[in-house]
Amino acid sequence: MIQSPIITAFGLKKTYRGASKPAVDDLSFDVRQKEIFGLLGPNGTGKSTTLMMLCGLIKMDAGSMEVLGLDVRQKGAEVRRRIGVAPQEIALFPTMTAYENLVYFSRMYGLPGTAIRETVLEYLKVFGLADKSSQRVATFSGGMKRRLNLVAALLHRPQLLILDEPTSGVDVQSRRMILDYMRRLQAEGVTILYSSHLLDEAEKVCSRFVILDEGRRIAAGALAEILEANGGSDNLEQMFLHLTGRGVRD
Amino acid sequence: MKILATIWKESILLVRDLGGMSLIFLMPLALVIVMALIQDNSFEIMQESRLEVLFVDEDADALGQRIAQALQASPNIHLIKSLKGRPLTAKTAERLVRAGDYKAALIIPEKASITLRKKVEETAGGLFAHYGFGSVTSSVKASPPIDLQILFDPAIKPNYRQALTGAVEKMTTSVQATWLMDDIQRRLGEATGRGGKTIDFSEMIHVRQNDASSDDAGGMALNAVQHNVPAWSMFAMFFILFPLAGNFIKEREEGSMLRLRLISGSQSPVIAGKFLFYLGVCLLQLVLMIGVGLYVMPLFGLSKLALGANHVGIVLTGLAVAMAATGYGLLIAVYFITPQQALSFGAISVVILAAIGGVWVPVFAMPPIMQKLSPFSPLNWGLSAFNHLFLRSASTAAILPDLAKLLFFSCATLAASLLIHRSRIVL
Repeated sequence: MIQSPIITAFGLKKTYRGASKPAVDDLSFDVRQKEIFGLLGPNGTGKSTTLMMLCGLIKMDAGSMEVLGLDVRQKGAEVRRRIGVAPQEIALFPTMTAYENLVYFSRMYGLPGTAIRETVLEYLKVFGLADKSSQRVATFSGGMKRRLNLVAALLHRPQLLILDEPTSGVDVQSRRMILDYMRRLQAEGVTILYSSHLLDEAEKVCSRFVILDEGRRIAAGALAEILEANGGSDNLEQMFLHLTGRGVRD
Repeated sequence: MKILATIWKESILLVRDLGGMSLIFLMPLALVIVMALIQDNSFEIMQESRLEVLFVDEDADALGQRIAQALQASPNIHLIKSLKGRPLTAKTAERLVRAGDYKAALIIPEKASITLRKKVEETAGGLFAHYGFGSVTSSVKASPPIDLQILFDPAIKPNYRQALTGAVEKMTTSVQATWLMDDIQRRLGEATGRGGKTIDFSEMIHVRQNDASSDDAGGMALNAVQHNVPAWSMFAMFFILFPLAGNFIKEREEGSMLRLRLISGSQSPVIAGKFLFYLGVCLLQLVLMIGVGLYVMPLFGLSKLALGANHVGIVLTGLAVAMAATGYGLLIAVYFITPQQALSFGAISVVILAAIGGVWVPVFAMPPIMQKLSPFSPLNWGLSAFNHLFLRSASTAAILPDLAKLLFFSCATLAASLLIHRSRIVL
């Protein structure tokens, strides 16, 4: 059954001040309910800009975007209230412990005080951080930080989860844990917009994709559709190289 | 809830930032003690105004003695009658003053008392003859005036020159009047056969000196402790911008600020929480600095800080200064992009505001042009209010203009901080 779109982006365009070309140019895509949707492409291709436009933190120059039925340009604050975002940066306080970080963000999300401790401890346990809860984040490994960064986006149990490079710089075990949890969330009814430059990883978790290169959409759809429409490549990486060439990008 | 959460978070960040903690607590305490010790002597010189005067009494009679007694009674004048056990001569005194070793010398000429008595007699006799009692024995104009000489070092402060001249003139006038009255009485007694009557000139006019403080406790002169404790407390409070701006920009660079931007409705509580937390830190700084003035400075031989009688006024002033300092720190934090920009500008601007405001050197000791600039510094408003309270025990109404300026500054910087911060949520 085809689910109704939870994100609808049409003709998005953004050029940063002083830049010679747009970071995002005429980008359209839609994300359906309860799917894991891949926003893919090499570094610097406009994925993070697209996600920030989706959150209402960067103004789009042209185009339109609706998230959860709300116009992002007019209802950006309401959109941010209902979504969870794990940014590419480790958006945590390094001198605070894992527990303190999550308690603080829970309070900022406005969670009731009685539920905070229980929720935080539950997530720390699920992500294998319970025994490190009283350690400062600065002492964590890259994988532990990345897991905690994801937890901080889940505390208020959002309908839509936006993950920007969620497995960047992590060990194999942490990657497996994060990808498994994404599938679990999907099963629980959460929609996930997953942004990554790791095309092989995306193939394993995403049901549909939009692939960007230099800010423009070069392919979109389900894996089989994309591969077939682009010369019968074996995988996304092969297809991407076929479409864009093997030259190194800026 | 969100504001309290931010206050809790800020307290954790500050407690774990040992450098920041020492910068806002330990350094100011050390600074205020060192500055008070350094400036103690300068303030004493400025306040006491004690002048050493070489006194050459070639008269060695009543006039010289009366003048010496009167000058010795003055707390601001120290008479030196001999050096190395030898009485001073006019020549020695002149040489020492010319050399700049002493600022002034007073020379009572030989036979000054005899000459004055003679002139008194001539004056009284002339007066009596004029009214038909007795005959004129000699002309008043025949005796030249007594030539009392005060030698001044050309570099002497004008107020010292004026004070010494005034004191000598006052005493010679008094001696003249007394001796003249005595002579007139003597003559009247001889003419009427009645005995003399003592006249006490001091009972005619009283000149009272009171400090214009607002309560019975009276006021006090500015000294190193009274100046440095409030001055450096405010300096330390304005230096709150270091941990405030430092943490704020670090949060922006490390990404935690991005997460807060992504949490809807968190921006105003974040700013308000930071403001309230650092406001509390500023007040704690003030309490500690006052504590140092009360209990630590006396241990170093300095005077104890006097707080005056208006404790409510002190709390209000402390609150107003803390609000102004925190507002300024927040503005620096949100406006600048990098820590280098924020901390360099912040530090230099606070040092300039402190210098203009009278923290380094009291405003009255500044050149006129700087005194005109001084009222533009928020540190001057705070210092002015504290001086009113500590030195003059002023009422709260008297410090309201200063408090109003501080509150306006605080509101303006806080509003600007909020506007700038909110404008950067959506790029």
